[in-house]
Amino acid sequence: MTPNTHLSCFVEAARRVGTEVTQVDSLQDAAAYIAEKTSGIALVPETVLADKHDLKTLLGAAGVDVYEGDFRKAGHVPNAGITFSNFAMADTGTVVLESTMENIRLATTLPEIHFVLVDPKTILEDNLSAVKPMTEMHKGSEPRFVAYITGPSRTADIERVLTIGCHGPRELHILLVEGISSDLMEI
Amino acid sequence: MATDQTYKKKVESAINNPKLSEALHLFGDAYLTSRENAFQGRLDFEAMRKDLAEIKDDVRIRRKELLAEFIKNAEAAGSTVFIAKDTQEANEYVINLAKKKNAKLIAKSKSMVSEEAHFNAALEAEGIKTSETDLGEWIIQLAGQRPSHMVMPAIHMFKEEVAELFSKETGQQLSPDIKSLVNVAREQLRKGYFDADIGLTGANFLVADTGGIGLVTNEGNARLCATLPEVHVVFSGIHKLVRSMEDAVKITRLLPRNATGQLLTSYITWIRGAVPTDGKAKEQHIVLIDGGREALYESKACRDALRCIQCGACANVCPVYQTVGGHVFGSTYISAIGVILTAFYEGLDKAKEITRACIGCRSCSAVCPSNIDLEEIILHLRTQVTQEYGMGMIKNVAFKAVMKNRGLFHSMIRAASKLQRPVTHKNAVDGERPIIRHLPMHFMDRDFTEWRDLPSVAEKSFRDQFKGIVQNVKNSRYKVGFFVGCGADFVYPEVGTSLIKVLNALDVEVVFPQKQNCCGIPALYSGDTETGVDLARQNVEAFTEAEVDYILCVCPTCTMGVKRDFVKRLADSPDWSAKARALSEKTMDASDFLENVLHASEKLTGFKPQGTVTYHDSCHLKRGNKVFKEPRALLNAGGYSVEEMKNSDRCCGFGGTYSFLSHPQISKQITTDKVQTIKAVNSKTVAMDCPGCMIMLKGAMGKADPNVRCAHTIELMAEALDGKE
Ligand code: SF4
Ligand code: SF4
Repeated sequence: MTPNTHLSCFVEAARRVGTEVTQVDSLQDAAAYIAEKTSGIALVPETVLADKHDLKTLLGAAGVDVYEGDFRKAGHVPNAGITFSNFAMADTGTVVLESTMENIRLATTLPEIHFVLVDPKTILEDNLSAVKPMTEMHKGSEPRFVAYITGPSRTADIERVLTIGCHGPRELHILLVEGISSDLMEI
Repeated sequence: MATDQTYKKKVESAINNPKLSEALHLFGDAYLTSRENAFQGRLDFEAMRKDLAEIKDDVRIRRKELLAEFIKNAEAAGSTVFIAKDTQEANEYVINLAKKKNAKLIAKSKSMVSEEAHFNAALEAEGIKTSETDLGEWIIQLAGQRPSHMVMPAIHMFKEEVAELFSKETGQQLSPDIKSLVNVAREQLRKGYFDADIGLTGANFLVADTGGIGLVTNEGNARLCATLPEVHVVFSGIHKLVRSMEDAVKITRLLPRNATGQLLTSYITWIRGAVPTDGKAKEQHIVLIDGGREALYESKACRDALRCIQCGACANVCPVYQTVGGHVFGSTYISAIGVILTAFYEGLDKAKEITRACIGCRSCSAVCPSNIDLEEIILHLRTQVTQEYGMGMIKNVAFKAVMKNRGLFHSMIRAASKLQRPVTHKNAVDGERPIIRHLPMHFMDRDFTEWRDLPSVAEKSFRDQFKGIVQNVKNSRYKVGFFVGCGADFVYPEVGTSLIKVLNALDVEVVFPQKQNCCGIPALYSGDTETGVDLARQNVEAFTEAEVDYILCVCPTCTMGVKRDFVKRLADSPDWSAKARALSEKTMDASDFLENVLHASEKLTGFKPQGTVTYHDSCHLKRGNKVFKEPRALLNAGGYSVEEMKNSDRCCGFGGTYSFLSHPQISKQITTDKVQTIKAVNSKTVAMDCPGCMIMLKGAMGKADPNVRCAHTIELMAEALDGKE
């Protein structure tokens, strides 16, 4: 498979599980998209990529209410969480977030909506091809928390009826933006 | 006896609750479709499950070394690891920890081993509150019940019941609307994660080379439990070990696909060590529980069960589970795997009824992603149960006293064929054959003939008819020995005579060693190995003497008996087992032989159109012998047009003595399902390749729609040949 078929395969698989996938031209456009969909505070963890791309400033300029305090005090259900990702997997429509930094975990578990910014260059073919970067992330003996996220939170525990938004975010939006970073170890 | 009575009552009340069974059937059907979609494309389930079995077997062999590696790596990343020899020790560890931390509330995500440990009760007894956060588990906790399915704990409950529970909990009047009920859970439980002092999760994997755990979930509660509280406790069985990240990833490719038909669950979470929490390092305790697993690893016959990845599929496809649900067919763990784990984790005594409740259809073995031959392990346990607790009077006499003695067995059957006369009636479709409509009340249980006709024993058995059959074979291509089996010998001898006709037409000569006896499977399935061994010897002797090219059966259970079990049963004696092996290699199911050796569907041509038939796949033919294309090819070649019924390979409910002696009620329900799918096809003939299925389906169709005929494929082929002549 070529990177291009990975991309289309990824988009299809992600949509199949209820993820909203949108391709945008720049992080500014992504910020505008996010501003339109949010209606409350947004948790934006200060990761390496967020700093590099000055994400908080871009979001603020677009009108997103970027939360500036301790994420644990942002309420039980903040409106949005906005993060980058390390890489993605085409066959299942999954994004992978190295979430050892606690704020990434809070920004991706608590909010109603989770926005993920993905560089199409980081889309791998499938979860077998993810073994290598996963092993790389676990080199040494530092604590690690890595999350695979495939669509919004769901349950079928009442009468086997698929219901979205059980404990995690009710909506997952993936924004594909070229040129974020092709380094799978960066988030 | 007390447990027997409670068990019987449980079976009865489950059967009187058709709503549950209906729901489980709908679920089972939907499951099969989504699973099929999930494996579509370039994935090869058989290869994947063999691979997984190899991984898990290597882990079993190297478990000490891998466990040490896991512990070393986990500790290096800041985790504390505790090995608990049983669930009680595990509970105590958490209780002490909670006391030390002055913890009041534990937020829990799903952990089956905590169910095994009765964790919630143990903690509450010490004044520590536990809050289940998985939606299904929370429902169960509020209802004060135990899960009835490993993946969907509350599958047995309906939305009205959930609304009632949630209304009580919240003090509001809630309507049974699923979406809003899920919302209530979301709101109610959210605060708990923030308030909890400890978050407890299970683990789907313990990855030795990283020292981390993996969690496979959909709701997102495990991530919250592992993130918000300051302390994270991992509660896991020791058998969750894998060697590497690669092993774990391979399991993630099978588990969701086989569990729910998802390509991946919403979340897979990999956690290693003391990750940062609220500015500090988290305190993470990994409690690894033996609780009977080491003993299971040491049991050669049963240890494959520890390959289980808890996908729940063996329940989804099980006809017994679908009929009575997990609260009857299981304990903490349910259905096929539940039978085995109950025997090891709770004791054989606790598993004795459920080992007998399995009908032996092998659907579980076929669907298991870890390639566990669940049915065979259950059979083994049933033998142990019989050895320890006996098998009940009727079977004792039948197997031990009668069947082992060929002469007595056969003359009793002859006598039966005379004795039954006063109670037989003419049959609507094959009028020449009488059937038993009702048995005299004192003769047997009332329920026996209420819902199905019983076949009568044939006037003249096949073994008695054979001598009079003239075979017209000029240039014999093969000499085959016919292993007739009890069903075709005493109940449907016409299947045997049909086989001779079809084989003769293809220049094959049939011999019939008169010393052959029952294949022994009914005795074995009831756990009577001794009779099984004896019968194996008698048959091996009879067929070795006959010196034939092939041995053919018209009953797939007999095929399995001769092909697979004789060798095993006689393994202790080199001499006998060599003979048994030689026979095993020559043994085939009749349809398999006709199609794959004789190429009958190409050779036999020029048949008249015979109308529509629908085909029922017998459990042992399809899953035991992997034969399902062959009979269809034969029937199509013979001029029949095969129209498929829904779920053609779902069990008919027979299971030998199961349907008569041990679980007639469960059997009846399973048969009712089959009858419905047959009726839906609108074909006047149902073909099958098993006299056992014929007994069951002829009987049930006789009451449900006497115009539908049930016949053996070989009979239909012989009739097609007759039509040609
Ligand atoms: S063999 Fe059939 S009846 Fe027995 S446990 Fe497996 S699926 Fe259920
Ligand atoms: S025994 Fe096999 S089918 Fe049953 S739950 Fe375990 S892995 Fe799944």
